[in-house]
Amino acid sequence: MPHDLPVTLALVLLTLASAAAAVLALRRLRVKAGRGAEGESSSGESGDADAPVPWVRGLSLGVTLGAAAVLAYRWMRGGTAWQLVAHVDGLLMIGGLLALAAWYVQSRPRLRGLAGFVLVGVAFVLAWAICAAAWTYHPFNLERLDPVWEALHLGGVYLGTISAALAAAAGAMYLFAHRRLKRHKPPLAAGRIASLETLETVIVRCAAMGFVLLTLGLVAGVVVITHAGDGGTRLGEQWWLTPKIILSAGAWTLYAVLMNARRASAFRGSYAAWLAIAALVLLLSVYGVVTAVPGGGVVDPPESVNAVPAAASEGGVR
Amino acid sequence: MIGLSHRTADLALREAAALSGDRLDRFYARLSESHPNAEAVAVSTCNRTELYVARPTHEAPSGEALRGMLAETVGVPVERLAAATVQREQEQAAAHLFRVTCGADSLVIGEPEVLGQVKRAYADANERGVVGPVLHKLFQEAIAAARKVRQDTGIDRGRVSVASVAVEFAKGVFEGFAEKTVLAIGGGEVTKAMVRRLLEENARRVLLVNRTADRAQQLATTLGLTGDRGGARPWDDLERLLIESDIVLTGTASSEPILTESMLRRVVKKRRRRPLVLLDVAVPRDVDPAAGSLSNVFLYNLDDLQTVVEQTLSERGDQLASCEAMALEAATACMAEVQHRDVGQLVRELRRRLHDIGNEERARTRRKAHNLSPHDEDAFEQLLNEHTHRVINKILHLPLSQLDARDASRPLGFYAAALRRLFDLDSPQPSRPEQTPAEESQEDEKLSARITR
Repeated sequence: MPHDLPVTLALVLLTLASAAAAVLALRRLRVKAGRGAEGESSSGESGDADAPVPWVRGLSLGVTLGAAAVLAYRWMRGGTAWQLVAHVDGLLMIGGLLALAAWYVQSRPRLRGLAGFVLVGVAFVLAWAICAAAWTYHPFNLERLDPVWEALHLGGVYLGTISAALAAAAGAMYLFAHRRLKRHKPPLAAGRIASLETLETVIVRCAAMGFVLLTLGLVAGVVVITHAGDGGTRLGEQWWLTPKIILSAGAWTLYAVLMNARRASAFRGSYAAWLAIAALVLLLSVYGVVTAVPGGGVVDPPESVNAVPAAASEGGVR
Repeated sequence: MIGLSHRTADLALREAAALSGDRLDRFYARLSESHPNAEAVAVSTCNRTELYVARPTHEAPSGEALRGMLAETVGVPVERLAAATVQREQEQAAAHLFRVTCGADSLVIGEPEVLGQVKRAYADANERGVVGPVLHKLFQEAIAAARKVRQDTGIDRGRVSVASVAVEFAKGVFEGFAEKTVLAIGGGEVTKAMVRRLLEENARRVLLVNRTADRAQQLATTLGLTGDRGGARPWDDLERLLIESDIVLTGTASSEPILTESMLRRVVKKRRRRPLVLLDVAVPRDVDPAAGSLSNVFLYNLDDLQTVVEQTLSERGDQLASCEAMALEAATACMAEVQHRDVGQLVRELRRRLHDIGNEERARTRRKAHNLSPHDEDAFEQLLNEHTHRVINKILHLPLSQLDARDASRPLGFYAAALRRLFDLDSPQPSRPEQTPAEESQEDEKLSARITR
C-alpha cells in the first residue's frame, strides 16, 4: 500500500504534539536555584510540589494512541495479515511505544525528568516516519520472505531500537545531570532529575534488553539474508561487508559493552552515557542506509535483490 | 493570647518559661479549677510559649491573671515574664496563631516543624478537656489554612541547613545511601550534623577519622557507631578509606588541604570509576579545589552549600508577604464565623431566659386572676399593671445591676454605652403599631434569624 495523505498529516500532527511535549518537559527542568525537595519536615506536611505536568502526560498519551490509530488504519487499508509492511510502520511502532514509555516515567518520581529526553527521541522518530511515509516509501518485499523469520527480525530490531532509544535518553539525561553537578548547580527538586546512579542503572538495563532483542533480530536477519531461496544471499556474496551489516554489528557490539558497563569499569559513568548515544546513532544509521541506499547498501547487488514485485516501489529492504 | 517568643525573649527566658510535661499538666489543672468556663491551648516550643485562651469578653481570666498563672507554674518572676510577654485579643490573637502555624513567625521562615508542634499542642489540650468550641474552630482552621498557605506559596520548600543541602547534593549522585559508606574527617559541628543526617537516611556504614584518635572514638560512641555500622579508624588508613568510601565529609581545623589533588588522583584510579562525593565544610578548605576536576569526583565546599541555603531563605522571604496576607484573610474569616456563632448562641439563650421570666409571671398572674371576680375591671387592670412591672423589673434587674458604680472592677462605661446602643436609647422611640403576641414573637424570630445567619 503506497503512502497516503491522511497518514502523512497524522504523522505531522503527532510529531508536533511530541515536540510540544518535549519542550514543555524540558522547560520544567529549568528551575530556580535552591528549589530543593520537600522541606525539612518530620511531619511531611509540605505536599507534592513536583507533580507531573498534566499537559506533558496528556500529550504523551495522545501520541501513543495516535500512533496506534495510524498503525491500525494502515493495517486495515493494507488488507494484509502482517502489520509491518514498510519502515513507516516500524517507525510508528517505535514512536508510539517510546511515547508510552515517556507517559509511564512521569509517574515515577525520580525518573520524571527523563520524559523530556525520551520525547525528543519520539519527535525525531515520528519526523523520520513522515519522510518514510511521504518521500522514501519502501515497502518490504514480503512475498519472498519467510514470515516467521521476518517477524523475528523486524520485531527484534524494532523493539531493540526502543530499548536503545530509552538507553540513549537516559544517557542524555545523565550527561545533563553530570554537567550540572560538576558545575556545582544546586540540586533540583526530586522528580525532575534522577540521580546519576539511577540513570546509569537505566542505561545498563535498557542496553541489556536492547542487546537481547537486537541479537534476536540480527540473527533472524542473517537467516533471512542467507536463505534467498535460489541458493544465493540477498545481499550478495560478501554480505558481511555491506554497510548495513557492518553498522548493525557495530551497534550490537556497543550494546554488548554497555550492558557490562558496571563490570567493565572503563565504561562507567559518562562513558556509558556517550556509548548509549553512539550506539543509538549507529542503529539509526542502519535505518538510514536501508532507506536511502537501494538494495540496503550492497556494493554489487545480485539481480534477486532488485527483482521486487511490480506493486512495491523499487529499492526494497531485502 | 499571652506569650513570649524569640522576638521578645532571649533563649534563657524561653527555656525557663517552657510549658511541657508536669508543668503543662499543672497549668491546665489550675486553669480548669479557677476558670472552668475558659478554653485554653498552650503552644510551647524552643522558640515560643504562647497561651491561647477563649472566654467571654471582659470575664476572667484576664491577661494579667494568665501571666501570673504562667509565672507561678514555671517559677519565673512575674515581672520578668511581663517584660517579655505580648498580649493580643480577638482578631489579632487569631491572626497571630495563623501566622505562627504557617511558619511566617518562625526563626527560620517557613520551617515546617511548627505546624506539627501546634497540632500536638492542640491534641494535648483536647485530651485534657480544656478545649471548647471556639478554640476547636480556631485551631482546626489554623491548621487547615497552614497547609493551604504552604502549598500555594511554597514558603516551606527547599533546604535551609547546610547539612540538609549537603545531603541533597549527595542525592544528585546516589539514589540512596543504604549501600553507601560515609567517611567523616574531623569532628566539627557541621560535620557531625551531616553525619547525623546521613544516618537518618540509613547510610550503611559511617567511618570516622581524626588526627586525635580519642576524639574520633568519642564521636563514634556518641553516634552509636559500632560493629558493621562503622566506627573510628586510624588516621594513617586515610587513603585506603578514601578508596572504600562513597561520600567523604571533611571539616577539620587544618590550615592546609589534607586531601590533595595527587592523593585523590591515586584514589580515583583505584576506585574503578566509582563516583566519589566530597563535601568540604572547612575554612580554609580541606580538599584541594583542583580535585573537583577529576573524573567522577564531585566536590562541594561551604560556599556551594551556603549559597543554596541563602537562596532558599531569600525565596521564602519573597513569599512571606503573600503568606501573611493569606493567613490574615483566613484568620479574619474564621473569627467572623466564631463571632456569628457566638451571637446566635447568645440570642437563643436570651430568648430562653426571657421566656422563662414571661412564663413564670404568667403563671403567677393566672393564679391571681383566678381569684378575681370576672366583672371587677379595676382589680383586673391593677393585676395587669403588676404583671407588666414585674416582668420589666425581672428583665432589667441583671443588666442594671452591672451599672453599680460601687463595684470598681466592673467596666461601667462599657456596659452603659452597650445598653444605650442595644436599646437605642438615644433615638426618639418611633411609634410601633399594636401587635399581637404571636406577631411580636414572629418578628423576634425573624430578627434572630437575621442576626444568626
